[in-house]
Formats: sequence, C-alpha cells, structure tokens
Amino acid sequence: MKNIKNICRKKVLILDGATGTELQKRGMPQGVCPEIWCLDNPKVLKSIYLDYSNAGSDMISTCTFGANAVKLAEYGDFDVKKINRQLTALARTVVGKNCLVAGDIGPLGKFIEPFGPLTFEDAVDIFKEQVKGLIQGGADYLAIETMMDIQEARAALIAVKETTDKFVSVSMTYELNGRTLNGTDPLTALITLQSLGADAVGCNCSAGPQDMIKFVLQMKPYAKVPLIAKPNAGIPELIQGKTNFRMGAKEFAFYSKELVLSGVNMLGGCCGTTPAHIKELKKVVSKIEPQYCLKKSISALSSARKNLVIDRNKPLVIIGECINPTGKKVLREELQNGKTSEVRRLIKEQENKGANLLDINVGAPGVDEKQMLKRIVQLASLQTNLPLVIDSSDPEAVEKALRVYSGRALVNSISAEKGKMKKFLEITKKYGAMFILLPLSDKGLPKDFDEAKENIHFIYSQSKMFGFTKDDIVVDGLAMPISSNPGAALETLKTISWCSKIFKISTVIGLSNVSFGMPKRALFNATYLVIAQSQGLNMVISNPLSEELMSSGKAADALIQKDKGGLLFCSNFKKDSSCEIIPLNRKITPCDKVSIAILEGNKEDIKKYVQDAIESGEKSYDLVHKVMLPAINKVGELFNKKEYFLPQLIISAETMKIAFAYLKPYLSENKLLKEQKKNVVILATVKDDVHDIGKNIVSLMVENQGVLVIDLGKNVSAERIIKEIKKHKPILVALSALMTTTMVNMKEVINLSRKKGLDCPFMLGGAVVTKSYAQSFGAEYAKDGVAAVIITKKFMRK
Amino acid sequence: MNIQFFDSIIIAPSEDKIYSRLGYNKKLTVLNREQKKRIDENIEKALDLVTLKGAGVRIPIKAISSSEINLSQEIVFKSKSLIKFLNHCQEVILIAATAGEKIGESIRKNSEGKDVTYAVILDAVGSEMVDSALTWIMSFFDNQVKRENKYVIGKRFSAGYGDFLLDNQKVIWDTLKLKELGVNLTNKYILVPEKTVTAVSGIKLISG
Repeated sequence: MKNIKNICRKKVLILDGATGTELQKRGMPQGVCPEIWCLDNPKVLKSIYLDYSNAGSDMISTCTFGANAVKLAEYGDFDVKKINRQLTALARTVVGKNCLVAGDIGPLGKFIEPFGPLTFEDAVDIFKEQVKGLIQGGADYLAIETMMDIQEARAALIAVKETTDKFVSVSMTYELNGRTLNGTDPLTALITLQSLGADAVGCNCSAGPQDMIKFVLQMKPYAKVPLIAKPNAGIPELIQGKTNFRMGAKEFAFYSKELVLSGVNMLGGCCGTTPAHIKELKKVVSKIEPQYCLKKSISALSSARKNLVIDRNKPLVIIGECINPTGKKVLREELQNGKTSEVRRLIKEQENKGANLLDINVGAPGVDEKQMLKRIVQLASLQTNLPLVIDSSDPEAVEKALRVYSGRALVNSISAEKGKMKKFLEITKKYGAMFILLPLSDKGLPKDFDEAKENIHFIYSQSKMFGFTKDDIVVDGLAMPISSNPGAALETLKTISWCSKIFKISTVIGLSNVSFGMPKRALFNATYLVIAQSQGLNMVISNPLSEELMSSGKAADALIQKDKGGLLFCSNFKKDSSCEIIPLNRKITPCDKVSIAILEGNKEDIKKYVQDAIESGEKSYDLVHKVMLPAINKVGELFNKKEYFLPQLIISAETMKIAFAYLKPYLSENKLLKEQKKNVVILATVKDDVHDIGKNIVSLMVENQGVLVIDLGKNVSAERIIKEIKKHKPILVALSALMTTTMVNMKEVINLSRKKGLDCPFMLGGAVVTKSYAQSFGAEYAKDGVAAVIITKKFMRK
Repeated sequence: MNIQFFDSIIIAPSEDKIYSRLGYNKKLTVLNREQKKRIDENIEKALDLVTLKGAGVRIPIKAISSSEINLSQEIVFKSKSLIKFLNHCQEVILIAATAGEKIGESIRKNSEGKDVTYAVILDAVGSEMVDSALTWIMSFFDNQVKRENKYVIGKRFSAGYGDFLLDNQKVIWDTLKLKELGVNLTNKYILVPEKTVTAVSGIKLISG
C-alpha cells in the first residue's frame, strides 16, 4: 500500500484503458458473460493486457467487473471466488512484476435498501466473496469502480477493509449534471469515502475527460488521498447512422494533461479508450509533476447527497435538536410503538427552518435503542439531505447506525468514561465519523474550566492514538443550567474561548440546557447564543423552530463578520415586494381592494374587501360587473400574454368564486341571478375517463362569468348527459377527455344528441383533444380555461 | 427475465421544470415575492406526498417486421410508430414509475373545489417527478449496458400515443409485475395510482 502511495507522490500513476470495448473489438460476441468468455479465451485477454502494458500502463485491471454473485447468476451457477482467483492470476501471469494488478470490483446491478432489494449486509457479504478471490489470485490492490450509489460504494469499501489491508480505490460514475444517478456529488463522495478508509477516490465512466475536470476541481481542495480519474473517450455520438466514441488518442491526451494539472494522481481510461489512448496519455502526462494531496485532515460531514465543510470562520452551524424523545411525549410514544410519522415531520420542519445538521437521539424507556437508532438513521437518510449527528451513549447502537449511514456522521458524543471511551473511539474511527468531545470523566462533570481543559486534553490525546486529528473533533462547551449553578455559563464561555482561540478546535453547546428552570427561555437561549458566538462558538445544538434563536444567531454572525458584510442576514430578511397595481397618486378605494385581491389571488382577505365595498355603498350588481368581472377578465388577458401562469390564473378564479359566494345573499332575486338561470353550461368528463382536473378548472372559470354550471362529474355516460341536456337546456355542453381511448366517447355523446334532435353547441377539451378533432363534428375547441371562458361568452344570453 | 425493482427513487426535484409545466415563462411571467412563496410552499407540500418507485427490464428484440415487433418472452407489439422509434435497436427496455397513492388522492380531493390551485400544483409536481423517475431508470440501464458497448437511446415511447394502443399497457404491466409496486390496471387500461407512467425505450450498440 505504501508503495502505491509513494509512487503517487512522485508521478502520476498510469492506469489502463477499457477492457469491455476492447474485448468486443477482438471478437467477444454480444450477450455472453465477459468473465467466463475470458477464461475460455485467455489469449484475447492476454493480448489486451500486453497492449496496455506496452503502451505504458503502470497498472492493469482484472477482467472481473461483473464477477460478483449477483451478476454471474444471470449467466448460470458459478464459483465466484474461483473465477476471481483465476482471472487475477491470468493478469499476473501476463504482466509479471512490470505492472501492478488491480482487482476490479464493479457494481452488483441491484440496489441496496431502501432503493432496492439487497440489505446492506447482503451487499457487504457479496463483495467480500469477490474480494477474497481477487486477493487469492494475487491482486496488488482493489479498485472499486463505476459506482452509482454511494451506499453500494460504502458496502464494497467496508468489504475490502474487513478482508484485507491492501490499497483500495473507489471511483464513482457521475452524470453530466455532476451527480451520480442517486444524487451524490463528487465532494460529498470524497468526504464519505476518504473518511471511511479509501486510499484513493475519484471518478470513472459516463463522462469524457473534459467533463471530468470539473469533478476533480471540486474534490482536490479537500482531498487527503490521491485522486483517480478514468474518463471515457468522450461521449458516444451518432455519426452517419452509427454510434461511436469520437475522441481520438491525441485529444484524449490533451484533456488528460488538464486533468493532471487539476489534481489527478492516478489516470487511465474507461469505455472507448484503447492502448493508443494510454500511449498518448503517458507521453503527455509523464512530463508533469503531480500535485499530491492538499489536506492531511478535513473537518467535514456528509449525507448521501450533501456535505458540510466545517470552518470556524464561517457562519454558525445549527444542529436541530428536535428528534430526541426526552420531554416529548408524542415522539416518545411513537418510538415506543415503532412508528415514525412524528420523526418524519420533525425532520422536514427542522430542515425547512434552516438546520444544517440533524441530531438523532431515540433513547427512551421501552425503546430498543440499538434497532431504533439504526432504523431512524436509515429513514432520515432518505427523508433529508442534511448530514446527521448520531446521538447515543450506547456504543453498540452507535455502531449499528454508523454502519448503515450513507455519509460521514458526527457522533454525539465521546467522553473520558473509561468503560466506553476506547470502544467509541474504535467504532468512530472505523466508520470515519467525526465526534463531539464531551469533557466529562468518570468523576462526572468538570467543576470548572481548568478541569474541563484537562479532560479535553486527555480525550484528545487518546483519540490521536486512533488517528484522529483536531479536524475530526468538536468540543462540547458543556452548557449547564444557571438556575442550579449561577457561574456555570461563564465557565462554559471560558472553555469555548480557549478551544477557539488557543486550542484551535470547533466548539458546540447544547444551548437549551442553559435556560433550564428560567422564565422566557427562548430569550435566554438567544442571548446566551450571541455571547457564546462572540467567544468563538461555531456550532450549536438547538431548536431551529425558534425564530428568535435563528434570527439572533444570524445577526451575531453578521456582527462578528462570520457572515461577511451581513449578506446572508440581508438575504434572509429582505423585504417583500409586491406588484404595483394602483397608481401611487390615487387613494385605494374598497372596490380597488376587491380588484387587487382578485388579481393577486388573495383568497384570505377577499370576503372582508367585498364586505367593505358593500358597506361603502357599492351595489352588489355593480361590484360584480364593474369590478370583479373586469378583474378576472384582466387575469385571463395576463394569462394569455403569459404574464400569469396557471397557479395565478386558478387562484384568482378561486378568489373570484369566494367573492361570488359571499355576495349571493346580496344578489338574491335580482338581475344577476336571472341572468345566471338563462345561461346554463353543462360540464362532464366522458365515460371511462376518470381525469377531471381540467374540467374542474373550466368549471371554476366559467362559473365566474355569471353562468350556472351543472357539473356532472367524471366517467359520465352519453345517456346521462343527454338526459341533463333535455332537463336544463344549456347554452353550451362542455366535454372533457384526457386519453385517446376515451376521447372517442365525446363523439358518441354528440352523435346521440343529434339523433335525439338536440341542437345545443358542444365545447371539447382535454390533453389529447385537438382543434381539428373537435371541428370534425362541429364542436368548439377550448385549449384551456381562458379559451373556455371566451367560447362561453360567445353563447351567453344577455 | 431479470426485472429490476427500484423500491425508492430519490431525485432532486427541478423547480424550473415544475414551473414550466405550470406554464411559467421566464421572460414573460410576472410573479411577486408573496405569490412565489405561496407556490413554492405548495410545491414543497406536494413533494412530501410523492413516493417514487419504479421497475424496468431489458428484453432482446427477436424480430421486427413492417407491422410488429417480436420480443423474447412471447411479447409482441403492433405499432408502426414504435417500430420506427426502435429503428436499429437490439433490445428494448420496458420501464414504469409511480409517484404513489398519496399525491393522486390529494389531487382528487383538492380539484373537486377544495383548493384547485393546489390541485394543479400537485398535478404538475406528480407528473414531473414520475417523468424524472423514468429518466432516472433509463440512466440506470444506460450505465448498466455501457460495459457491453451499448447505450440506451435518449427517448421513450408510451402506450396511448400514435398507433401504439393503450391496451399494450397490459403487456407492460404484466411483464414488469407492477402489482408488486402497488400499481393496478383498470379494465380500460388505466394505471392506478393516477401518477404512474409506463414506457418503452431501446438499446443500441455503440459501433466502434
């Protein structure tokens, strides 16, 4: 392992190019199992190895990409270990000691739960079986590659780490949007994998070399391990009816140089690359001195899809504390009953309110913490992109949770308790997590700052023996209730200040402890937070649902210049601007307010504005005709000009409907109601079609024009529609259908109506209906709700 | 036949695409801060109701005539437009994605007059997420077949379009065992939950 790391310090390690595409070029037929075919045709594989070796590869990969139990089972019943052993031995025979042999490990082709059917432990076991075969065959190192799912990459990496101490690289495959299929970005993957023990991390496949440069640039500033890149020979392109990888060897080499200058330490090729590509790459790259790793350690956390780099000079990190059953009856009872809906709610709410991390604590009487912590961590990994803080005093529960957590977690917490410290440090290290250092010892709480400092030194020195650095640690300042110890808050501030300014380490406090037993706790907490921030506190465990606290924290960040220029603060509290509708030089009348409410879709206030208008002396009929209808028609115009889009159109229509309903008592027996009865429109979604959202929009909008809408609903038979036409004598019948199969039922309705001697006009609409289709049986066509209003108006009787 | 079931598909929702489905035009539509906030909150609420699942399977093409495509497993599709679509493909992939029951129920409830604005947002969110899930499944297969020197063509074709009749939905539903994902098919070939889509795409060989 040392050897590979040493090589990477001195030069760029040249890897090989594609095996799969080369095998096909050299005669491997379609549809066969590549691994079995190679064992049956070793000469072909040997020729590829020799060509890469001669082209300058320092390392060749075994042809074992799909040699795992899941993939091989697609072709028959094979001995996984034996196949891996034989294929690795074959590679070794060809290249001898001239080249390193990398045992190649590809994805299983099935996802791990919750995305797919495999349990995490199943996946680890399947990979272990393959790893053992590769090691037996003589692999120098293990290359996990083309991973789309960070959890699968973790399973493979854990399988390797639990089997051998050989060098292991992990490369993910990123789509052109810069994320894996399951949404992980390169930096997040790097943080997770290098902390879990990968000796090199990088990317392969999917993209060409020019697209990979940006992935490498994202990772390099945070990489404490060599970076690996194996790009495709560009992206397949269709040229004269044939699809091909277009990038030639020289162009590939040109971008390879850029990749090395961006920070790649191990470079080769993936699909479409050939020995010629590697030869050119070698020519260009061998002249460049590589950049080794820029970091020795990194303070950063990750989930499957997001990362958080912790920087003491950056704004405060909020750890949401709400998922903790202590003092929360609903949550506690749910957890006791094995339910999770409250947890889901709290995850979402804390994320929406601006938490950066979520603390997960499920310790309560009657809860099996070992199982529940793992389950909630899995659930939270799915529900939120925020990295997690795993909070338990039970090392076994923490280990189970860390094993399945798809990112780099923060363990809360490790103290100097002799019975637990070593175990906690071991598991935290194994899974690459960071931890909160709790300066407690077997004697209990430190009596003052000096004792806390002693405990911090002791735990830190113990952790160093496991390989931890200060970047992996956050010190808990131990906020204690001032109600029981009036001087405690000051001692905590001393600890924070010392850690931040002298010891140079991140700090956190469980904020709400300080106000325990005091009145106005939110005010108390917010005030203490600001003081602690001024002493260097950079993380806090608190309730993100408290607006007072969140606002104070942001304001303090601006004041102490962690939020430079207060930009974040300003963007959070920017004043709302709303559109100007009434000229500034005119006083807004009650009728204006009704009009504005309809234009803006203000459903909440419309009743009050209508009431105000009536009370100011406006006649109901005039309010409808001179204020409301012009306003809703203006909305239609704005929609047609695309200045409004669908939600604005609908919410205005709903506001108008509320106004109409509210005005009804004022309109009884008057002209408007008579008009309504003269103008009946029948609406229906035709037989066999259950889609009615479009019809409901038309109903809402047409009704606002002062017509009486008879909505027959969905899946309505032709016979029923005819019966209703006869009964109501409508000015218009509007039919809706969403599907090609049900659209034909519109024709049936129209034909039947004509057969029965009914001459009422029809209007048709729905996703699949076209103007020509409607016109083919003399019907009107409405492409949307506004068009339906225009057509309806055409038929309205004055 | 190796059906891939995706029990949970996580996709970052594209706000732009959801807005675009609702008719938002970046150059023309004017939205004040309060309206935007309200719509965004509704989108968030809608996303909470989406549970994406999916399935897909690769099936070799046995023969293509001028009027039908014969796949292994005795599957036959009769559609000239599908034949044209699958020109030069060696295999097809049948795929399906569903957004689950909750969002469909909420659309129904709200569109019946409760809150039609929210209903149209739910509808757009559901459609967009299912569509994105199908794209995700196609990318999954594309990654799988790359090593075989093949790729998944970037487009897909659904039953109910052109001459690829809706009753083909039954074949896809049966083949993908969609019942296992909680998806049912009515006797009129409508998929339930409502926000469920099936499609056919193709796999071609990279020539080089």
